[in-house]
Formats: sequence, structure tokens, C-alpha cells
Amino acid sequence: MTTKPKGYRELLDEVIDAGLCTLCGACVGACPYLVAYKGRIVLLDNCNLAEGQCYLYCPRTYVDMDAISQKTFGLPYTGDELGTMREVLMARSTDAGTRERAQYGGTVTTLLSVALAEGLVDAAVVSKDSEDRVPVPYVARSEEEVLDCAGSNYMACPVLEALNRVPRQSEERLALVATPCQCLAVAKMKLNSPENRVDIGNLKLTVGLFCTWALSPDGFHRFLRENLDLPQVLRFDIPPPPAERFDAYTASGRTSFPLKQVRQFVMSTCALCLDMTAEFADVSVGSVEGIEGWNTVVVRTEAGAEVMERARASGKLETAALPSENLAHLKEAALLKKVRALKQIAGRTGSRSDLLYLGLPAGVVDRLLA
Amino acid sequence: MANIDIDAPGTRQLFIGNEAIARGALEAGVGFAAAYPGTPSSEILDSLASVADRAGIYAQWSVNEKVALEAAAGASFAGIRAMASMKQNGVNVVSDFLVNLVMTGSGTGGLVLVGCDDPSAISSSNEQDTRPIAKWFDIPLLEPGSFQECKDMTKWLFDLSEELGTICMLRSVTRIAHARGVVKLGELPKAQRRAFFDQVHDARSVMPTRFMPVPSSLRHALAHVKLQNAREKFESSPFNWYVGPDRADLLIITGGSCWLYSLEAVRALGLEDRVGILKLGTLWPLPEKLVEGHLGRSQRVLVVEEIDPFLERSVMEVAAALPPDSPRPVFYGKRSGHINAYGELNPDAVGKATAAVLSLEYQTRDVEYGKKANELAGANVPQRMMTFCPGCAHRATFWAIKNALKLDGRQGIVTGDIGCYSMALGPAGFFQVRTMHCMGGGIGVANGLGKLAQFGFDQPVLAVCGDSTFFHAAIPALINGVYNEANFILVVLDNSATAMTGFQPHPGTGVTATGQETGAVSIEAICRALGVDVAVCDPFDLAGTTSTVLEMMADGGRARVVIMRRECELVRSHREKTKPYTVRVDPDICVGETCGCARLCTRVFRCPGLIWDEEAGKARIDEVICTGCGVCADICPQGAITKEAT
Amino acid sequence: MSATALMKDPLNLIIAGVGGQGNVRMSLVIGEALVREGLLVTIGETYGASQRGGAVMSHVRISKEAECSPFISDGQADVILGMEPVETLRMLGQFGNPDVVTIVNTRPIYSIDVTGGDADYPSMDNLLEAIRQLSARTWPVNATAEAQGLGNPILANVILIGALVGCGALPLDEKSLEPVLRESFPDDFDANMTAFNRGIELVRQQG
Repeated sequence: MTTKPKGYRELLDEVIDAGLCTLCGACVGACPYLVAYKGRIVLLDNCNLAEGQCYLYCPRTYVDMDAISQKTFGLPYTGDELGTMREVLMARSTDAGTRERAQYGGTVTTLLSVALAEGLVDAAVVSKDSEDRVPVPYVARSEEEVLDCAGSNYMACPVLEALNRVPRQSEERLALVATPCQCLAVAKMKLNSPENRVDIGNLKLTVGLFCTWALSPDGFHRFLRENLDLPQVLRFDIPPPPAERFDAYTASGRTSFPLKQVRQFVMSTCALCLDMTAEFADVSVGSVEGIEGWNTVVVRTEAGAEVMERARASGKLETAALPSENLAHLKEAALLKKVRALKQIAGRTGSRSDLLYLGLPAGVVDRLLA
Repeated sequence: MANIDIDAPGTRQLFIGNEAIARGALEAGVGFAAAYPGTPSSEILDSLASVADRAGIYAQWSVNEKVALEAAAGASFAGIRAMASMKQNGVNVVSDFLVNLVMTGSGTGGLVLVGCDDPSAISSSNEQDTRPIAKWFDIPLLEPGSFQECKDMTKWLFDLSEELGTICMLRSVTRIAHARGVVKLGELPKAQRRAFFDQVHDARSVMPTRFMPVPSSLRHALAHVKLQNAREKFESSPFNWYVGPDRADLLIITGGSCWLYSLEAVRALGLEDRVGILKLGTLWPLPEKLVEGHLGRSQRVLVVEEIDPFLERSVMEVAAALPPDSPRPVFYGKRSGHINAYGELNPDAVGKATAAVLSLEYQTRDVEYGKKANELAGANVPQRMMTFCPGCAHRATFWAIKNALKLDGRQGIVTGDIGCYSMALGPAGFFQVRTMHCMGGGIGVANGLGKLAQFGFDQPVLAVCGDSTFFHAAIPALINGVYNEANFILVVLDNSATAMTGFQPHPGTGVTATGQETGAVSIEAICRALGVDVAVCDPFDLAGTTSTVLEMMADGGRARVVIMRRECELVRSHREKTKPYTVRVDPDICVGETCGCARLCTRVFRCPGLIWDEEAGKARIDEVICTGCGVCADICPQGAITKEAT
Repeated sequence: MSATALMKDPLNLIIAGVGGQGNVRMSLVIGEALVREGLLVTIGETYGASQRGGAVMSHVRISKEAECSPFISDGQADVILGMEPVETLRMLGQFGNPDVVTIVNTRPIYSIDVTGGDADYPSMDNLLEAIRQLSARTWPVNATAEAQGLGNPILANVILIGALVGCGALPLDEKSLEPVLRESFPDDFDANMTAFNRGIELVRQQG
């Protein structure tokens, strides 16, 4: 907790130069000083403000998890494995073409399509593969564009930069597809509305992505360039354990790398993250272990529930119950991430009461580290 | 500019020192003048070029000072009176040719070198006194103490040079060169000589009429003979005089600009009957008998000069050689600390020194008023730093370079050079430039940095130079970079002008000094002929320029060139007299000091056309200063600055 | 006013402003007019790099018989023609004395030190008050606004020349300036003459 005003200097000292930056993009695109470029946060000039929104919204500066939870759900932060939720289920697009193009069940693509088609939102802020396969932030305004952005390449993308660039006079209603750290940054923005940039009240739907870790675009992209003919690659995939592979698919076939080799490009900051299932999204989406072509969906808020209902009603999305072993495994994995991360953090600071950026109720910490 | 070729002998005209020098050359019958622009010398060639056609003479802007002097010498070798003028750095550039020229002789024409120094480096990279080169190289040297002497000395030096067959030098400083005073005109010559390079063996002279510095001992001895002849003439020169009492409490020995300062200081102190002034115009070789004669007037001698203790040391050499029983005065000046050994002087400095030597008070101003003035002015007078003009392409270029270097992230280095863009050392160019020395120095240094990869060096290197600088000095260094495979990017700032010195033409502009159209030399053609990759950017296209520079830095390994091409705004607006855009800040969109802007346009970009309205907390356009280039509209993070085509 | 009526010998005039405003051209016009009155004139200038937005000044020394150096000593200015308010005060700070008379163009030009936030530009009231306190007589003139009214801000310079002539501190009058203006501005002599007369008026209005 701090009462001292903090701005870009502290952001650089405490987060970026300290190796905590997740490249979420919350600090860039909103001012002329901080920009994201090829996997780095770059300071173009010195801002002269002592206090800045860049520091305030960063998900790796102090986060009062309880305050965030209260604002998002009206409930305290409990530290439950999957966070606050209304429903957990399986879902997939009813359109085979969409499923083929997208990751797993194509649920994210479908939800966005429905939201656009039904006029719930006017645009979706997502990550998109650029020509050289580095993911870049993108604002999609049609279902075709949304489909075009489907798929993942597992590299961090500063998607929030595109959110920040929406002009403050814009009245467009927005959807956002975001990783857990990005959802946390957005939750901070909802707690303290941003000034001189996008009206955060226009963000109507946040679709969260399950995330264990992300790869550094800086290092991993170089690896890809050196080992693949990138323009030929159609999509990437990390199949579920025990495959231990990173796959790249071209028209002619598949090239795989041992996951161990790829893991060296995991951003070190991911080891300090407690959130596997994007606990502060409206609806969170991930894969289903052992069941190809389906997504696990966690519905958390009214907005999440509404878009799921509309998707079902439109016939574009089919849902099913999530088998209990899958749910159990999911909770296990999520809990494991929390515990590992807390141990890392406490190990780094030497104390359970100094958790770097995390403001957790003491009871939660003790329970998780018991 | 005044008309220096007015045919009105005996009338008085208001000339700046440089115009008076040019007039003196005309009255001497100069036929050939060459120079490279350099403050404070540029107006000499500027004014000669403006009258060249009707005066029947030839005036040339040369590619650099070395060629200018060599060309002038060539004319003198063929019997035509010639002159080369330059600033202090130019004298450095010509030094190798100059020392050899003293040994070869300058022929039958008459050759004058004018060197204009810039004490306090008001418009220079360095401060330097060029007078010692006369002593070093054995060159007769004169320095004018008034505007009349600028004319009269220049004229006389041609005669001296022709008679002795050696180059003669006139040294001036900014406060004479650029100050304006009354000059009484002399007659202009009626006809020019015929040029002819005489190759016939002259039986009277030891060597045939060829210009070579060998055999060197003989040549050196001959140079000393010429100097001795000059000294004899200087002993009775009308350019040296004494004012004051026969016996003085203090003898001031001075020359050049300091003559008038000393005169005023003595007047202000009311010491005309106690302090004498020996004003010397012939500085090297020193007329020793003359000086010896005056040294006896006082027990105290104060030597006043700009910049180095050149005269002081020469006079002290004379004093050291006085017979043992002669009275030896006490010397004051730079050695004693009474006069600064750096920076320019003024009447106050001389007044303070004089008063100190005589243990008097020096006060030119009412003490009470002085206190009040310091208080009121001290509190209310903010600094006024130099910067790029509004609309200057360099501001946009360095903005793009700054962003490209930051995005690249490898701590790239910019090596700098001489021109308006030298200001990129400071806030005007966002503190981008890291080294600055002389013409062509930037790309020279880049050649070194560009070969350090084997020592683990991985920082990108950008060398900046102007278009005129490119022709002056950068080409050999670029060839070196290609031949030795150095890794750097030469950024040529092509604003189609030699801007800082007054918009003189150069080989790239396609116009000569006298306004004739000629083939323009293409910078990119030269680069391509060297096999170098060349990109051409418009600096006003900030995004395009930034990404071109970024790409070039990423694609390293060899010397490459990017030309930033956009005309100097002062040249454009003088010709077109219109503004391309009407630029406005929308106060409803401007967020000023708050998070999301933090005054980027006024605090960081700093174009003088953008001002800060403290009360409203918004930026604003100063419509008198703004030239309507519209670049600021592209940097405003909120889109508050708009540009409308006019 | 005739050539013999030189109030002091030498008479020291400083024209001060910002690089690019045109002080050199102004000093040339005034100097030329004085020379035609048979006076000896020396003008010291700051050229070159200062033009790029820095502080500039012209020192005009006027005498019947003595040749003067191009430098006015501290505290020795008799007349200050300020093209910009801060520069006017800067000159008074160094060269002013209890007898100096001052004309000041009241339009500010903000240096990048000021617009960049490193320095404050004083309020016009404070500036004028300081200038008045340091001058025996002060004539503020909004030359730039008047020039804009006449159709071109660059006419401010000639308005200020008119003000200088109108205040009577120099041995010059309308007749001495007209031929010089005609030669200096052959293409728009009428506009410049109008501006010149307006300058005289603005100063005489103030009594």
C-alpha cells in the first residue's frame, strides 16, 4: 500500500527493469512516452509527471485483490482455485469451419461474432498475427475480421495498447479478449476510471483466456525465425500433456519442437502470476484436457452470462456439461499455479507479508501456503 | 548589403568590416576571390560576388577553404590579384597548403588571406586565435583597428604581397567584421590585368619561375628574407601610431578591435593625460625598433588583445632583448591575469584592467541604479536559448532519429558535425548528438566506431552532416567507410543551403556565387557511385523517416546513407511568402500538463511556434512565429493540433 | 531636428530583440539616416548563431567627431529600442542608467526555456513596471498588434523606427527617414511609410 505518488520512473524501476513486466500493454498507447515495440516497453522521452496512470493500471504494481473483487463481483477475494464464477461448462462453435480456423472449440471467436452481430458491441480489441507472425494488438469491427484473428501463437501481446488508443470521445462499445494479467489491469481501470483516454465504461465484455505462461516475443520470435519458414506456418499448437511438444503447422505438415526447448522463452514474470483462468473476466475460456475441439468456459458475471445465452440461442454455440474429472484437474492445475507463484514471490521477498505487487487478505495467503 | 563598388571616391559610406575589406580588395584591383562560408567572414565573398559581374572580377564559393586558397594562389601565380577569406577553422583547413605556399612564393599577382576569428565562439564550435600561424609559418600579418583600416590595410597588403612575392594575411574578429562604421572611399581601378603563367626562366632569380617548396633550406631562408623586408616597412607604417603623453603612467599596447575599446576605456576614466596607447596594425613581424622606442615611455605596460597573448609575448621577446642597462617595464596583460586569456573583450574589460593597474576605481554606472537594475532584471529576465527556427526540417529529423534510436534499444550513437544542426547537442535537437568537432568530423569518428565489432561493440552509429558539409569534407570519409567496410549510417541533412552562415549556394544547389545556373551535383549519385545503399526521406514524414532509420539500423554491417531532404524553411518562406498550413490547437481536446500528454509539444518538441498558456493550462500557436509547417499536428498525442491547407 | 542637436556625444542607442526579428535591418536604416545627417556612426551587431531564436542586440554609437567602438559599456545606454519586452528589460539590467529613455514593443516572444517549462515569463504588468522603474521615460507600443492591423506583422519594425523618431531622442525626423525608407523598401514603400507615421503617432499620443 502506498500514499507516495508514483509514475513512469517507478514503473521502470519496480516493474520493467525489475523483470516483472508481462507486456500486457496497460502502460502503452495512452501517452507519447511509453510504447511497445518488438516485445519491449520503450520510453521515448521523459514524462515529467510524478504520478501516472501507467503505474496505476500496471497489473504488477500494487493490487488490492479484495477491492478488485468487490468492484467486479461485489464479493470478497477468497483465493478459490477458479475465482468467482457462476457456471463452468464446455462449449464449442457449431460451425466446423470456425473450429478448424480457431483454437480448440472456437468459443472465443463465436462469442465475439455474436456480440458484434447482436449489437452488444461495435468492436473487439484482440490480438492478431502480423505478417511476420509477431502478435500485435488489433481492433476488429466485423465477424470476418474476428475470424481472421483467431488462433494463438503463445507469445505475449500488448493488447491493451489498442484499448488505450481508443479516443476518449469515441462512443463505440467494446469487447476485449485478454490474458489474466490484462484482465487484472482492466479491473484496475474499472476501479479508477482512466482520464484523457478511452472511456472504460464503453468496455462491455471482457473474454478472458486461460493462461499458464506466455512466451517472450523478443526471444521466441527470433527462435521461430531461425528454425522455420514463418510465412508458411498456418498455426501453432501446444497439445495437452503428455505430448510435451510445441507444434507448427504448414500446408504440407507439422514441425515440432520439444517443449523443454521452448520453455526457455517463457517470460520469467509468469512464475509470479497466481491467475490461470482469468478470474476477473466476464467469461473465461480455455481448452479441455483430453477432449479435442471443445473449450472449457467459466461464466463469471451478468455480461458473461448474457453473451453465452445469446450465443446458445443463436445456434452458433453448443454447450455441454464439463466432466467432473476435468473440473477436478482444472482446479488442481489452477491451485498449483497459485501456490507455486506465492512460494516464488515469498521466496523472493523473504516474507509472506511482502508479496511484491499482491495485496491479498492474510487468511488467503496462509490457507494457500499451508 | 551595401554596394561596395560605388564609384564615389572621397565619400563616406556605412560598411560592415567585411564589406570594407571587400572594398579594399576592389580598390587594390583584385581579380579573383574565393571562399567557403564561415561566420564571421562570409560577407566578404558575399559582397564581392554581388558586384562581380559588373566589376569585371571573378568570385567563387569553393567547396572548402583549402580549394579556395589553392584556387586563389593559382590566380596569383598567373599574375591576377587574388584573395581567399575564411573563419578561424578555415585557416586550420588550409594550413598544409599555406605552409608550402610560403615556401614556394605567391607569384606576381598579389595574394591576401583574410582570417576572421570569433572570440567567445558566438557562432563557432571553438574559440581560436589565428594570429600565431603568421609567426609559425613566416607570414606578414596585419590587423585592422577600425573600419577604415579594414579597407586601407587590405588594399595595401596586395601591394606588399606582390612586391615580396609572398602571401600576406589580414586578421579580423567578429566585432570588426560584423560591426558597421563609416569608411571614406578611394578610387576604383579602371582595368584588370591579363592573366598569364610565366614559365620563362628569369635569369635574375635563383630558381626558375615555378612554384615548389624545394630545396627546403633555401626556401626557408628566402621566406625569412621576405619577412625581414616586411619588418623594415612596418617600422614606418601608418598603421601604427601612438596617442597620449610623452611619458605615461601606463602604456597600453594594443591592436585590432581592442584599439577602440582601449580608447573608450581611457576616455571613460578621464586618463588621456596619464595613459598612452600604442596602437599596432602590423603585428607580424613585429616592428621591433618601433616597439622598443615606445617601451621607454612608461614603467608599466598593459597589453590588450583578443584572444591569446600573441602580441604580449612578441613584445616581451623584444623587452627581453633590451640592453642590460635599459629600464625594463612591468608587463600586465594575460600573463598577469589583468586581461582574460579567453573570450572577447569590451571597453569595460579594458577599463577595469587599466584601473586595477593604476589602483583606481572603475565604475561606469550609478551604484544605486546598478543594484536596482540587478534586482529587477535578475528576477524578471528568463534565458533565451538558441533553437532551430520554426518549420526547420532538422527538428523533425532529430525527432525521428530520437524515436528510432529508442525503439532500436541498443544505445545507438549520433556523431555530429558543423552547421545549424550542431544545435542538436541541446534541447533543440533533443540532445541527440554525442560528438562534435569540425567539418566532416562526425563521419570521421563514425568510421572508427564502425570498426569495433571485433571488440564486442554493437551500438548502431549514425553520423549526421549537412549538404554543404558533405561536399566540404565528408566524401573522403565516406569512401573510407566503403573501402574499409565500416558499419555506420551517414545521415545527410539536405536542406539545399549553407544555412547557418547566410544561405550561400554550394555544389548541390545548382547555382554559383554570382547567381549563374550550373549543373547541380547530386549527393545520391555520388553515394551510389561508391556502391552505397542510399535512401531519401522527407523528414516531415515522421513515421516514414523513423521506420527507414530503424530498418537501416537493424540491417547493419556496412556504410549506408540516408538523405533527409527538405528545403530550409527560411529559404522557402523568403521565396514563397506563404504558410503551407494554418495550424491550430483545439483547447477542448488539449490535455496539457495531465497524464496522457505532460506538455509534449512545448516541453519536449519545443518549436518556438508553440507556446504555453499558463492560465488556460493549454498549448497555443503563436501565429506570428509559426510558419505553418504542420509537423506538430503529427506529434500531438491527443490529436488536439490541427492543420488546414491554406 | 537637425544634425547639430545631438543631445550627448557619443549618443548610445541599443536595439534589442530576438534573433530573426530584424534588428539588424532596423539598425541599418537608422544608421544610414544618421550618416546622411553628417554624423559618425558605429553599429555593433550579434549575427550568426544568435539568429536562431537567441537574444540579439545592436549597439548604435552616434557622434559628431569621434569614432567609437561597436560596444556600449555597462550602464551607458541613452536610448533603448526594445522589440520584445524581456529583451528590453535585459538591456536595462546591463546597460541602463537613471537617464535612459526606453521604447518597448509589448508583444512577448516566448523562448523555448519558457515554453519548455524551465523558466517563467513574467507578467506584462511586472515587466512594464520594472522597465518604468529603470527608465527616465518609457513609451510602451504594441507595434505587432498595430502591424497586424495594417496587414502584416513584419511592419512592426518600421512602426518602432517611427516611434524612435517620434520620441525625439535622436537627431532625426520624418524628412531624414523618408529617402532611406524609399531605398530600403522600394516595392512596398507606401505600406512602410504608413507604418512609420503610425509609430510616430503612437509615441506622440503618449505625450
